[in-house]
Amino acid sequence: MIAIVRSEWLKLRTTAVPWVLAGIALLINGLFILVIFLTHNGGAGRGGQGGGGFASSGDTIPHTTQQLRNLLGSGFQGYLFALLLGVLCITAEFRHKTVTTTFLITPVRPVMVAGKLITAAIGGAVLAIIMLVSTLVGGGLALVGRGGSFSALLHQVPAVAPGMILVFILFAILGVGIGSLLTNQVAAIVVTLGWFVILEGILVSLVNGAAKWVPTGAAEAAANLTRNRGDFSLFLFNWWQGTLLMLAYGLVFALVGSIILTRRDIT
Amino acid sequence: MPSAIEVHGLTKHFGSVHAVEDLSFEVDTGRVTGFLGPNGSGKTTTLRMLLGLVAITSGTATFGGRTYEKLHKPTHHVGAVLEATSFHPSRRAEDHLKMVAIGAGIPLSRVDQTLELVGLSDVARRRVGKFSLGMRQRLQLATALLGDPEILILDEPANGLDPQGIQWLRTFIRYQASIGRSILVSSHLLSEMEETVDDVVIVSEGRLVLQTTLADLAGRAGTSNGMRVRSPEIGRLIEILTATQVGYRPTAPDTIAIDGATPEWLGPVLAQNQIVVYELIHDRGSLEDVFLNLTQGFASTFPATAGAGAGPGTSHAGPTPMPGGVS
Repeated sequence: MIAIVRSEWLKLRTTAVPWVLAGIALLINGLFILVIFLTHNGGAGRGGQGGGGFASSGDTIPHTTQQLRNLLGSGFQGYLFALLLGVLCITAEFRHKTVTTTFLITPVRPVMVAGKLITAAIGGAVLAIIMLVSTLVGGGLALVGRGGSFSALLHQVPAVAPGMILVFILFAILGVGIGSLLTNQVAAIVVTLGWFVILEGILVSLVNGAAKWVPTGAAEAAANLTRNRGDFSLFLFNWWQGTLLMLAYGLVFALVGSIILTRRDIT
Repeated sequence: MPSAIEVHGLTKHFGSVHAVEDLSFEVDTGRVTGFLGPNGSGKTTTLRMLLGLVAITSGTATFGGRTYEKLHKPTHHVGAVLEATSFHPSRRAEDHLKMVAIGAGIPLSRVDQTLELVGLSDVARRRVGKFSLGMRQRLQLATALLGDPEILILDEPANGLDPQGIQWLRTFIRYQASIGRSILVSSHLLSEMEETVDDVVIVSEGRLVLQTTLADLAGRAGTSNGMRVRSPEIGRLIEILTATQVGYRPTAPDTIAIDGATPEWLGPVLAQNQIVVYELIHDRGSLEDVFLNLTQGFASTFPATAGAGAGPGTSHAGPTPMPGGVS
């Protein structure tokens, strides 16, 4: 299994897909950081004078614990890219027919799916760390540039990082599960984005109590591993229940996908 | 000699389509076996069943008694070249081989060795998307050889190769056999393979037509179909033939064909009668003709070939349903 994961990791690394995904995630993260600072500035800056870069008093930059955590967690939106990473690492094999070579190396197909689950989980964790580091650098620079405290931001890492890494891992695993069920790349991406961007929100607003059961709700709960966002948490499971529910989604999909794959003719 | 590959009663149905039907053959150790048949005769499906990629409806396909999935480290025993498209275009050739080597537990030193073996060392760092078809085929061969397997399975490896590429491939396959590998290589053209293979397994419409040695097949082809003579004195020759009651067919104003005649018979006849000859042709069935004859009765997808110099009486290829014609 170690050999398979190492091979899968090389496979992931040597195509453009993960780099493009990480690049887009970073770009979006940069925009979020910008928005955080602009909106903070916006309130105070409106009354300020022209050339007002000096309005760096306490309440124009993130400084409360919650504000700093929100800043550090700006990369959270990247979970969608962890999900796509999981989806693509399996559907790309079918799209480019490399799955033939993969199955020649690993003829027992569930073993291959297991290898991808582990590899995508690692990839998800790496993506989370990239988002955190980029936020620390970008957000930190902006913070310090406006007279804020970098160490205060750094202080929030233990409260934000573990939950974020966990959520990215869970989404990457879910992605592999979806990909093993829907091996057609276009179909898999359309269904994934359709669910997480549109359908899930509609379901949650229509069905009472659905919020805690849908993947995003479960992941939101899992994110509370190390920080407690009291306002949301009322409607959600606690962190380990959310984690188990997310894992269950991913692994059940992967299991059913593996069974279907085992019977499938690779022509 | 023990068999490297054994196929017994192999059958595959895709819904109502019977792709392979009760197919049995063996590949002997250390020999090159040509797996021949027209397009759509079930060759690829058979090879993919052998490799565990396509589920078997019934029958067995094994390597020394084990299915591909049951082999310990299968890529160390069996190397396969399937189709030229199975690479990720943005991955570098070298990385593709490394990925396979790591996954299969093969030392990374084999990557450079196999690249060198197939002549791709210079382009190892290039992305496969930029490769020509011939280069992709070579990279496939390198992939198959990574695990130093004793058996090679090659599905239409000559497809898309230029004449030099095909010549290289022949030398390559003969070399692999000379160092003891057993090779099963499929093709829809016998002529492509007749200098390369020791044995032939001929299939048509998913069924076995014939398994034999190339020498035996050549023996069947070698029989004389007759002689053709072009002469300014063709009238005198016709008189002599008529007098001795030998049949002939005029094929041009100054040319006749004498079915069943041999050079040993015709030469002295011409010499004794001092007939001037412009052209003397020995019509002999080629291996390709034998192959076509063997597979023709089955192959409804093949248009009847305009047989140049083939024996008489083979032109009606049965009730062939032609799909609508070309529009």
